[in-house]
Amino acid sequence: MLRITGGKVYDPANGIDGEVRDLFVSEGKFVASAEEGRTIDATGMIVFPGGVDVHTHVAGGAINFARAMTPEDHRRTQAFIRSQSRRSGIGGMAPTTFATGYLYAGMGWTTVNEAAVPVLSARHTHEELSDIPIVDKSTLTLMANNEIMLDLMEKGEYERAKNVVAWYIWAAKSYGVKAVNPGGVAAWKWGKDAKQLTSPIEGFTRLTPGDIISQLARICHELGLPHPLHLHCNNLGAPGNISTTLDTLNHLDGHRAHIAHSQYHAYGGDDWDEMRSETAQLAEYFNTHPNVTTDAGAVLFGDTVTITADGPWQHLLYKLTGRKWGNLDVENETGCGIVPYTYRPSNLVNAIQWSVGLELLLLIKNPWQVFLSTDHPNGGCFWRYPEIIQLLMCADFRTECLKKLPDKIKERITLPELTREYTLYEIATSMSAGPARALGLHHKGNLGLGCDADIVIYEEDKDVARMFGHPRYVIKGGEVVIEEGDIRATPDGHEYISRPHYAPDTDEFLRPLFEDCYTMQFENYPVEMERIEKPAIHDCVPNS
Amino acid sequence: MYWGGNPAECHPRHFTKYALMPKSKFLPRGRKDRTAVLVDIRPTKSAKAADIFLQVRPGKDFELITILRALIKDQKVSEEAVAETGITLEQCTDLIERMKKAKFGCVFFGMGLSMTRGKHMNSAALLTLAAEMNAFTKFVAMPMRGHGNVTGADVIMRWQTGYPFGITFNRGYPRYNPGEFSTVDVLVRGDADAAFIIGADPGATMPQPAIDHLARIPTIVLDPHVTHTSNLAKVHITTAPAGIAAPGTAYRMDEIPLPLKPALKSPYPTDEEVVRRIKQAIVKKPFWMPEGAQMTAAQV
Ligand SMILES: [Zn+2]
Repeated sequence: MLRITGGKVYDPANGIDGEVRDLFVSEGKFVASAEEGRTIDATGMIVFPGGVDVHTHVAGGAINFARAMTPEDHRRTQAFIRSQSRRSGIGGMAPTTFATGYLYAGMGWTTVNEAAVPVLSARHTHEELSDIPIVDKSTLTLMANNEIMLDLMEKGEYERAKNVVAWYIWAAKSYGVKAVNPGGVAAWKWGKDAKQLTSPIEGFTRLTPGDIISQLARICHELGLPHPLHLHCNNLGAPGNISTTLDTLNHLDGHRAHIAHSQYHAYGGDDWDEMRSETAQLAEYFNTHPNVTTDAGAVLFGDTVTITADGPWQHLLYKLTGRKWGNLDVENETGCGIVPYTYRPSNLVNAIQWSVGLELLLLIKNPWQVFLSTDHPNGGCFWRYPEIIQLLMCADFRTECLKKLPDKIKERITLPELTREYTLYEIATSMSAGPARALGLHHKGNLGLGCDADIVIYEEDKDVARMFGHPRYVIKGGEVVIEEGDIRATPDGHEYISRPHYAPDTDEFLRPLFEDCYTMQFENYPVEMERIEKPAIHDCVPNS
Repeated sequence: MYWGGNPAECHPRHFTKYALMPKSKFLPRGRKDRTAVLVDIRPTKSAKAADIFLQVRPGKDFELITILRALIKDQKVSEEAVAETGITLEQCTDLIERMKKAKFGCVFFGMGLSMTRGKHMNSAALLTLAAEMNAFTKFVAMPMRGHGNVTGADVIMRWQTGYPFGITFNRGYPRYNPGEFSTVDVLVRGDADAAFIIGADPGATMPQPAIDHLARIPTIVLDPHVTHTSNLAKVHITTAPAGIAAPGTAYRMDEIPLPLKPALKSPYPTDEEVVRRIKQAIVKKPFWMPEGAQMTAAQV
């Protein structure tokens, strides 16, 4: 049992905004009272629900390829030395698994959603996740470029496609559906891309990216998945892509969705020289459509490594930068590209990207709709989130940073006009309560009775980045894991898995298709439940 | 394209299950819809399976790759430079034309490229060729690895330490330097004072000074079989053979994990069980760092 007394509590899920309250924990959950156990005197301190990352890349074939590609970064970055309670590892742009858990928890984040997993290599992703300590985890399955799915959609076999999506989720032991550049990654197998939502995809006669988006959004809803379609739009990163993004949103046909890293999808202009921010248009959409959420995908200046299933984009980035390029094609399902990248304030495009991420966070009025993210490691590393919090809470600091950007940027962005400053309550919403609700994890990001006792306690500090970078205590499932800047315990986290309903004949339907085009045995394809460490299964209730 | 590899003898399922024979939506006739090229220093059994065999002069792979890289960009190359590789200019231009016309090109390269004169420079050149081919069509390249589950070891070392091999933990955190921390180098220098070997037989393949050192120090071998290494080891623990009598996971060369399902029972423990029990015993011993001591990267 544990008591936390006298702290200023920020619990947006229950409308509590900085009231002094006591919290009681028993068996990992919040309870009404606790007589025994340790008392943490949080007088004068700030109490938040543990952070929830709705979109990150921390485990699996792609990030592990990025690790292999960046030994020069491992050498210069933070080393984690083995101790009796802690495994060794490396921080930096693509941290190793144990270090990933320590870094997230050390910053007060207690739940992470790995946003891009092919079914074919899901077994690998789960093995890595079980080596990420402390935090709870979930995964999303890549579905918008799977050839078997696309064939069904092309033939108009919607019901069958729905069953197959459900089958895949259970086979991958994942939590929900991710769509990356619908049709574009399949087209990349031909060295092409899918830039028009209404044009047929390379290799298909009728099927368009728009069809895939509409059908997957509806499928996620009808299967009753806890998290709606998680969508990485077509034309990521391209000047003028705002029209594609708005068109994509119109293809949702009123269904819920989560738009991933919208910073990369809110640009105007016809080419790199003309590129400008179009955040006002995109924010307006979110401000009038409360059923759609997004994460910022904010950019921070410095070195990182970009990783995305968006293969054609990564090929372009390789051509633009002339740096290392890794490409992975995942048989019939998806692909992935990896390119190290440096965001520079002196580079006009990078400076616009930096501004666009912050503009979206400031222009979308409801923090329950826009969440803190860098699309780790694409826009910057997750362990730099406190820097973004500082930028959101301090308009003066933003003004200082703007001075370092090229003069030409002024007509291209709106950030200098924005005076909004996030309150602590809004930060708690955007980093925890909001993403937890969007993920359908109602017992997370919530300090109410019966919820998981994931808590982060900060010592109040005028230096916002320091305050959020170095919490005084982090508590995970009622256990004190970080105290006085030190890791005290490294419990294993849960993994959230969805079990949607599918027709019993789906196995026998898929078997011949699978045997036609895969290089492994059908029986070996689904991930065995025994491989999941501490699974927490959500049984889905279908919607009609 | 296969370059410096002999899958017909070394990876016998590669043609039939993976790269040449399978039929698919866009290649309904399987092998007939593909063009196979082999580049090697001699006509191995794999040459029979290829449509085109190019016999490169030993040690001239890097030069040939560089010439191909020049030709795809319409750069001039001298006749003498081409002649040195053992391949004619006509063969080169024919190959380039076919590569550019391919809908999806894939180069598999083996140790005949990566372990001969030029070594990693050869691999880097070939990877660059494949990357640059994407200006014309879709092209990828992938290494053909050696022994059983070497890819699996690579993959796991990478997620736990950031590096695939050649790692030392002697400062308490992973550091990487092939040529300095690779097993063979550590042994030849005599830096190791104990060796623990699982699923490998360095006694059969490593240079004599490394083998001599293994014989000098306490060497412990986990292996289902009697091997060169187990014969010189102080301790040999017989374990159940993975995939036959022990379950687990093996990573394919393309890093796809496959579950191993044992067909037989073994009286011997699995490697995993032995390692687990050794670890349990070590945990009972005093920790290597004095109680309460804290090391930071700056101190070491
Ligand atoms: Zn992402």
